[in-house]
Amino acid sequence: MTRLSSFRTGALGLIALTLCQLLPTPASAQAAPSPAQAPALEGETCSVQGLMDQIRRGLQSKSAAYKNYLRTLLRESAVTLPDNELRAAFERETDPVMAEHLAAALVARTERGADPSAMQAVAERVLEERDPAVRAATLRAMRRTSALENTGDMYERLVSDPSPEVRQEAATNIIEDIQHVYSGFYGPASDAAVAAATASTDPQVTARILGNLDTQKISAGSASEIQSLLSSDNAEVRQAAATALGGVPAEQMASARESLVGMYRDERDAGVRKALLQSIAQLGFSGAVPDLQRLRSIDPRLESEIDAWILVLNLGLQEWSLILREKQWLQQAP
Amino acid sequence: MTPDSLPRSASPLAGSSNRRTALIGAGAGLVLLLAAIGLLARGSGQEVAPADPQTAAALAPKQARSGKGGGTAPAGQAGAAAEAPPSRFDATTCWRDLERFNEEVTLETFREWAAPLLASRDPLVRDYLKARLAELIGNDAGRASTVLGWSRDATPQEFGVFMMALRDSEAVHLPQVAAQLVDLGLGERVDPERRAGILSALDTQKRLDPAALDRLSDFAKGPVSSEAGWTAARTIGRVLKQDFKQTGNAAPYLDELLTIGEQSPDEQIRYLGQMMPMHSAPVLDAEATERYAKILATEGNESGRDVAAHLLSLSQDKARVLELFAKTFETDPAVCVRWAVFRFAARVSGKDALPVMAKMAIQDPRFQPLYDEFERLYASGVLDWVRLWNSLSNQNPFGCLDRHD
Repeated sequence: MTRLSSFRTGALGLIALTLCQLLPTPASAQAAPSPAQAPALEGETCSVQGLMDQIRRGLQSKSAAYKNYLRTLLRESAVTLPDNELRAAFERETDPVMAEHLAAALVARTERGADPSAMQAVAERVLEERDPAVRAATLRAMRRTSALENTGDMYERLVSDPSPEVRQEAATNIIEDIQHVYSGFYGPASDAAVAAATASTDPQVTARILGNLDTQKISAGSASEIQSLLSSDNAEVRQAAATALGGVPAEQMASARESLVGMYRDERDAGVRKALLQSIAQLGFSGAVPDLQRLRSIDPRLESEIDAWILVLNLGLQEWSLILREKQWLQQAP
Repeated sequence: MTPDSLPRSASPLAGSSNRRTALIGAGAGLVLLLAAIGLLARGSGQEVAPADPQTAAALAPKQARSGKGGGTAPAGQAGAAAEAPPSRFDATTCWRDLERFNEEVTLETFREWAAPLLASRDPLVRDYLKARLAELIGNDAGRASTVLGWSRDATPQEFGVFMMALRDSEAVHLPQVAAQLVDLGLGERVDPERRAGILSALDTQKRLDPAALDRLSDFAKGPVSSEAGWTAARTIGRVLKQDFKQTGNAAPYLDELLTIGEQSPDEQIRYLGQMMPMHSAPVLDAEATERYAKILATEGNESGRDVAAHLLSLSQDKARVLELFAKTFETDPAVCVRWAVFRFAARVSGKDALPVMAKMAIQDPRFQPLYDEFERLYASGVLDWVRLWNSLSNQNPFGCLDRHD
């Protein structure tokens, strides 16, 4: 070895030593595992037990993203998981949150055509379960599904459940199913919603369903049921019934309009009167202006409301959603 | 076909599922009518999903048909899968140690740790990564800037996740973050396809300040804006929708979109400028009415004339629009444009438009059965144009909707 080569070796060694200190050391080469060591992520087949354990632990996570992922993973896995294991896990689960997850998985099996009876199993549990928190949670799992038309009279029974929480969850399901699953286009589902609303012994539930119901495809019988609620002792129910009548099918419009105009004079509640005005506007568009002008002097508190309706209806818009939007902006304007 | 006339399936559940798809389809029918499909027609390859729920709804059935919820089979399952009969449903993947990933991942470790998950192409875990990264960014401009910086050397799979996380983060609403997105999206430092993805991260803005609006518009209508210009026009339209819904303020966005719709030399970008206001349905003042009237009369692209008729149906000046529609029906040779002015005449004036529509049906007898149906529906008491539209026995009598596919 020459001096030169010896120098080169020594110099390279020194440079290498220096570089080692400057460059970051790969995590895998570190002697002790640091807290930032990458997790050993490995894909595996999902199992009911594994998913339930993961979800149970995941409920403690502060990450909404993770909790949402686990909920979606169970629902997406439901169609390929063993049915008997899934049902058994659901039947023995007493924690409301976990029961909701498992119920959602079973409902997903029915919704995706993998198991027609899975939703029935959930419906039976809702009706038979003693714990109101589990009933309410399981009921939530059926939201935005075909439950309204596939669970018989379940909703008519649940709207009179002893638990107010269960009654409200049932109302929310009905409202969201009609709105998001059927878009108001399926008459039998809308009729089932009216039947549940009228069957409820809780005026708040009746009012909530009717006040948020798309009635464009309801039957004449349902329209008549709603009209009969205009004479309810409860102002919230009268207000909701008035609102619901604004959207009835063309065949019921004339009768509904006549009832609402006729009712305005004797009604004393300002909220109900506002709803009457809105529905009169909806049932007549610009053709409602003469009726509104006639009603203007009856209640001085609502003169500006009637003026706003007349102004907006005179724009001649041909879509109710646009008329409502313009009215809202008009009244928001400074 | 009306929803009620849909045949019941032998299986009530499958039947209900099918019917619901059809009902949702009916709800989205208006959207299809509006030709919104064009929004996604331009194959950018960018992975940022549409922020517009209407567009997403219109797209949904196609996605559902393509199968969802899959993911790669876990290691060791390939042989079994090859022998087993094909399943109707794709298996999902559960990830060992994902819990630790979730609890311990930081912005500093995200890229390295997420790499094997992204490589798996598991769509569920990919959605989780987007949402988790948005949480990690939070409302911190510095973190948002770091993620934006990653866009330059990110793999295509990473890039989509990074941009969607930014779009959905709180920080994207901070002025300095929005400004950075505009700068990078309109600048020359990244390649054009990436610029489109970066601009898409602005889709969730609640409003665009005048300077940003001007810059996006100038870029979109420019001679060489290409993919990113198309995205810039779409972003203006999407923010218009959000701002308009909250404040009723459409004017500055409508002005810029119309300018793009009038001036862009790229037909697809021009069409987007003409079409995007449709999603917000603003009532047109006299100036906007005249600008759309000019598009209806002079635009070479049939689809552009079609959307001009749509927008004009919400003009304040109903008499002017009915007159314009009558003239267009006489002079425009395209049956789809005729169908547009015919049906939108009813949206202008309801049953008061029937005399104008009757004349159109005399001029072109193909429209006589359609006129008869409109007349019958109005006689039944229907007032709302949306209800009328959903009651038509055939919403697509001339195959005009198909041309957008």
